[in-house]
Amino acid sequence: MTPPRLLPQRRLSAVVLAIALSSAACSSGDSAGGGPVTLRFWTWSLKGPDPTARAIVEQYHREHPDVTVKLSEVGGTPDTVAKLLAADRADDTPDVVQVEYRAVPALMVAGALRDITADVAGSKDGVDASTWAMTTINDQVYGVPQDTGPMMLTYRKDLFDAYGVTVPTTWAEYARAAEQIHAKDPDAYIASFDPTQFEFFAAHAAQAGAQWWSTDGTAWTVGIDSEASLATADFWQDLVRRGLVKVEQLLTPEWNAEVASGRILSWAAAAWAPSVIYSVAPDTAGKWASAPLPQWTPGRTAVPFLGGSAYLVPAKSRHATEAAAFAAWLGASDEGSKLLLGLDIYPAGKAGQQETLTHEPPKLMPQQKDFYQVADQVVENTTIPMTWGPNVAMASSAFEDPFSAAALNGTSFRDVYRTVQKAVVADLEKSGFTVHE
Amino acid sequence: MPATPRRRRLREAGAPWLFAAPAIVFFALFLVIPIGYAIYLSFRGFRIEGGGAFGRRLEAFVGLDNYRAALTDPEFLAGFGRVLVFGLISVPSVLVLALLFALLLDTPRVRGRGFARIAIFLPYAVPGVIASLMWGFLYLPSTSPLNYVAERLHAGPLDFFSTPVLYFSLANIALWSAVGFNMIIIYTALRAIPTSVYEAARLDGAGELQIALRIKIPLVAPALVLTGLFSVIGTLQLYNEPATVRPMTSTVSHSWSPLMEIYEEAFTNDNLGGAAAGSVVLAAGILVISLLLLRFLQRRTFGGNA
Repeated sequence: MTPPRLLPQRRLSAVVLAIALSSAACSSGDSAGGGPVTLRFWTWSLKGPDPTARAIVEQYHREHPDVTVKLSEVGGTPDTVAKLLAADRADDTPDVVQVEYRAVPALMVAGALRDITADVAGSKDGVDASTWAMTTINDQVYGVPQDTGPMMLTYRKDLFDAYGVTVPTTWAEYARAAEQIHAKDPDAYIASFDPTQFEFFAAHAAQAGAQWWSTDGTAWTVGIDSEASLATADFWQDLVRRGLVKVEQLLTPEWNAEVASGRILSWAAAAWAPSVIYSVAPDTAGKWASAPLPQWTPGRTAVPFLGGSAYLVPAKSRHATEAAAFAAWLGASDEGSKLLLGLDIYPAGKAGQQETLTHEPPKLMPQQKDFYQVADQVVENTTIPMTWGPNVAMASSAFEDPFSAAALNGTSFRDVYRTVQKAVVADLEKSGFTVHE
Repeated sequence: MPATPRRRRLREAGAPWLFAAPAIVFFALFLVIPIGYAIYLSFRGFRIEGGGAFGRRLEAFVGLDNYRAALTDPEFLAGFGRVLVFGLISVPSVLVLALLFALLLDTPRVRGRGFARIAIFLPYAVPGVIASLMWGFLYLPSTSPLNYVAERLHAGPLDFFSTPVLYFSLANIALWSAVGFNMIIIYTALRAIPTSVYEAARLDGAGELQIALRIKIPLVAPALVLTGLFSVIGTLQLYNEPATVRPMTSTVSHSWSPLMEIYEEAFTNDNLGGAAAGSVVLAAGILVISLLLLRFLQRRTFGGNA
């Protein structure tokens, strides 16, 4: 059915109305005087058409009748960052913005974020200190955590069982499992190798003891070519060379089809992976399970977080106080973090995490009753802090292109890591940062 | 009261300006000023002030740094090489097919002319992004019916995204819409040729093939120059097809074409100055190539006195 066409005069009045509304939004101006406020919220977790998301913002409106929250989805982290920087320079920013943790330093350095330390001081206890650390720079808080990514291996339990493969607990066992799977079914692979998953490789290196970025407060150290990091490159080079993982990007129609038909058997990611897999292969629900991520050293349990995002308040928000209060309510209050659980995300707030323990498992694995117990244990073990530099976006594109080429041509992964190291250091120095050799 | 001659002269002198004013205003607002701003931006960049690991990025004058970076960026230059290969495949095939279809449609006693013309033109109405997505599905082994058939015949799996096949795959996506558009331009030029020319040729004993080769093609040469030039410019500005296909395959990098690298600089690396410098270099390159091509083709098409 096509929507009815607007008559010319109706169209005109719609335009007039839109102009009136937008000028009203502008003229509501500074929030100091109180009165009704509309917060513009850029987020992909709370989607406008989703009734659960709408219920959340309506709940906030009921508790704070003066504040209305307007949801818009502007894309994932890279798009959101680009649009926020453009909005900042145009002096017309939204009021609350969701981005992944890795983008926070770049936005802070660009001067696009408001320091909300004082605004969220009362919510400190709602979220774990190690999670707050991901939005804190120089003791100033720049965002309220929404969700975290406890790293897990999500795998096809039925096929692992059928092929007699035990769930790997170390990366060495993972490589053996990859051999077994490919031997049993030459069309099947333990996983796809996606050279564009920059953050995964950074986290994977962090698990091995490397920090791609670190700082002593005045200067940066870049560790992409440290020996621990290069060892992780060797690990993947070996699997790719032996053809035990399939070089292919995630979430392409190709990958989706292979996941749905049992030719890609696992995804090493985080607690949010089941809802992503469910969205592309709903028919395989009930055949999956999640386990803690394999380790480099047997018996160890430490992992970093992968993904997860925070709510930031742009420096030029016209309603910064209300915006920070809303962000703190949604991310760090007991009520807000429990509501977030309804969106199938793993909340950062302590109350939401507590709530998961009695929550139904994700739709992808209704039979795995202990899913959230496992996730909770992984969070306990998430003790490796990740520091992201101010040029993560540049680094990830400098990484993905040569890494893709190396994976396809079979050239040295180590050389790619060394090239990226040089490019990242050169970019920091060009921008004017001090870098330790 | 009649106006004085002086005033009338003034009014007459002002009239053309008055009529041209809207065009001049819009030309200035949407072309001259943005180009000037882009050139201004190409001399500026963000630099860290205040020191420390988290100093603030502020905009500053950086001289020719951005141009130096753009002209020594191996990926940017390699992008030109890649679109050159793409153009060597796509431009001749587009022109040959468009000319062929236009000539076929212009043959007397051809049936279903209206339908054929619409059918050939229709792909032009499909936006490049949509076409790229649909072809992407046709290329990916798991979703491709072509691959399904090939595997049944034990010829598969076909890999449309491996180099050098990739160049043909991308050219194929662009081909469909370009052929339709250029066919219409050439066909319109053909319709403008007076029929008396053909009658004279027939009286002299020329067949349809000879008419096509000796009369129609030389007479539509200016239209061919025009479509050729558009195709070359379009090739240098290649963006939609590789950018849409990029998430489906690792063989297309972020900086596959010059415009993709410029986008990357502007919106991923937040380096507007670098992107502006790259755009100026690209625009200058297009201008130079267009002028050279025009000079060369005009001399051949319109004789030496052009």
